[in-house]
Amino acid sequence: MLFGLLLLAVFLLLAVFAPFIASYDPWEPGKSFLPPNKEHPLGTNDIGQDIFSELVYSARISLSVGLFASFISVAIGTLVGLFSGYLRGMTEETLMGLTDVILIIPAMPLMIILAAHTAPSIWNIILVVGLLWWCSTARVVRSRVLQLREMPFVEAARSLGATDTYIIFRHILPNTRQVIFAKFILVVAGAMLTEASLSFLGLGDPLQKSWGMMLSYAFSRGGFLNGYWWWYLPPGICISLAVLSFVLIGFGLEEQERNDVNTI
Amino acid sequence: MTARTSYLARQILRYSITLFIIITLVFLIPRMMPGDPFISLLGEDVYYRSPELVSALKAEYGLDRPLPEQYISYLYGLLKGDLGYSIHCSQPVWDVITYKMKWTVVLLLPSAVLAAILGIVLGSISGWQRGQRTDTSITTLFLFIYSMPHYWLAMFFVLIFAFYLGVFPLSGITGGGLVGWRKLQDILWHMALPVTVLTLFGATYNYFIMRGSVVQASRESYVLTARAKGLSERDVLFRHVLRNAMLPLVTVIALDFGFMVSGALLVEIVFSWGGMGTLVYDAVLARDYPLLHGSFLVIAAFVLVSNFLAEVIYAVIDPRIKGR
Repeated sequence: MLFGLLLLAVFLLLAVFAPFIASYDPWEPGKSFLPPNKEHPLGTNDIGQDIFSELVYSARISLSVGLFASFISVAIGTLVGLFSGYLRGMTEETLMGLTDVILIIPAMPLMIILAAHTAPSIWNIILVVGLLWWCSTARVVRSRVLQLREMPFVEAARSLGATDTYIIFRHILPNTRQVIFAKFILVVAGAMLTEASLSFLGLGDPLQKSWGMMLSYAFSRGGFLNGYWWWYLPPGICISLAVLSFVLIGFGLEEQERNDVNTI
Repeated sequence: MTARTSYLARQILRYSITLFIIITLVFLIPRMMPGDPFISLLGEDVYYRSPELVSALKAEYGLDRPLPEQYISYLYGLLKGDLGYSIHCSQPVWDVITYKMKWTVVLLLPSAVLAAILGIVLGSISGWQRGQRTDTSITTLFLFIYSMPHYWLAMFFVLIFAFYLGVFPLSGITGGGLVGWRKLQDILWHMALPVTVLTLFGATYNYFIMRGSVVQASRESYVLTARAKGLSERDVLFRHVLRNAMLPLVTVIALDFGFMVSGALLVEIVFSWGGMGTLVYDAVLARDYPLLHGSFLVIAAFVLVSNFLAEVIYAVIDPRIKGR
């Protein structure tokens, strides 16, 4: 987990200080297909943009897509989980039925269809991922809420005449914080991988630079066929390490949470 | 009604609703998106056709009729196996897909089986020796694989094994010009890399579930009893722990199948394997919407059927769902 945090810190610094780290403007064309050399540590791409600078700037888009998409999906999942777990009855049946159904729809093919019909833009990808990836959050939150709602402090609030919404947001929600945060971190990892896959299929935003878009171009514009590894290995390594950092933190948080529950 | 039949009835209901939603989504999405629904339904290729043909097509597809009417004829068409016509490929969508699907299944089945075996074996070893060297190294390895985009690992493998070492072919299904036994050999040789990549990814999920399951099972009191009876560690693991830890894995392997299909789509593209993945990739590039919709329906139906079969198997083998 410590390793995960360090790794994430590196990527965040990369994203925030991109203009200071990158030696070139990632959009500026130049001499194309240069192998790694002194001026361009990772060479240049098909239209001569500096690959290292592209890599640094891409951290911004790749990370923000992950964060925004995860935020949307965790928000939906949390609401569904809170209400179905607390209210039980019909609400629970309907919401959990819906979750069960969405869970078995093959997500990736559906996202491809949705993305293919909308104009290629970062926001559409964020929306598509966010709207389809909340099921596991809903399930985890619900099972936590099912435990919480039987606890004395909830009963006390109820007997004082607090409304359901008040109890859900003031008492239940703060106590599910840990579960939700762990889930948020893990979904960021998933969302980043999905962005990479959608971009690779040519459904990404051509106006933004992300690691997925870099891989997509390296593949479709000859970098892969010609074995220019300096073009397609670095973005893949960046995605993998960034995802790994989130996964390590997420798993670490989940472990901690389980231990906390066990000691209560 | 026994517990088993009511469980199965619930599952049948759940899967039918899902299938219905998927079918309806495919009908609604192109009609609700901004832009001319005509293009969203027939693909961008119609742009380049003559105006007469466009209006003829419009009438043929009944796009001027009210939505409910269109919906009914769409459902009726599906019943007859009519997924529409791909102007880009000049072929009915169904014909294109059945041919390509075959090759995707050829990749998927061996990968799924190998992934299950690999995940179960390594998962139980790690779970049983939790916290020891073997566990830590295998878990680290799988965490890395878990964090990679499928297609990127495929590209990496091609670079090393095909480009530099030259042990495996760069791409394709077969070199061509071969028949019978030699052709089969050639196909297997081409399959080696994509199947390895898919197996690794499939095994990742199975591994983590199996490991967790074994860790949990080994804390149960019957393990203590078994040890107290003087059974060897091997016997405790194989005769007691694994039998209980395997149960949840049946559904996991099935759900995993859905992920593997998505993974296969992307891995295929890297290897230019002529299955559903390359088909979807080309359809996206050409914005060939009928083909995309058809592919989605077929892939979804495929995943749903295999998941449903897993639920049935689960109901049969899990003694807790067995009727009274």
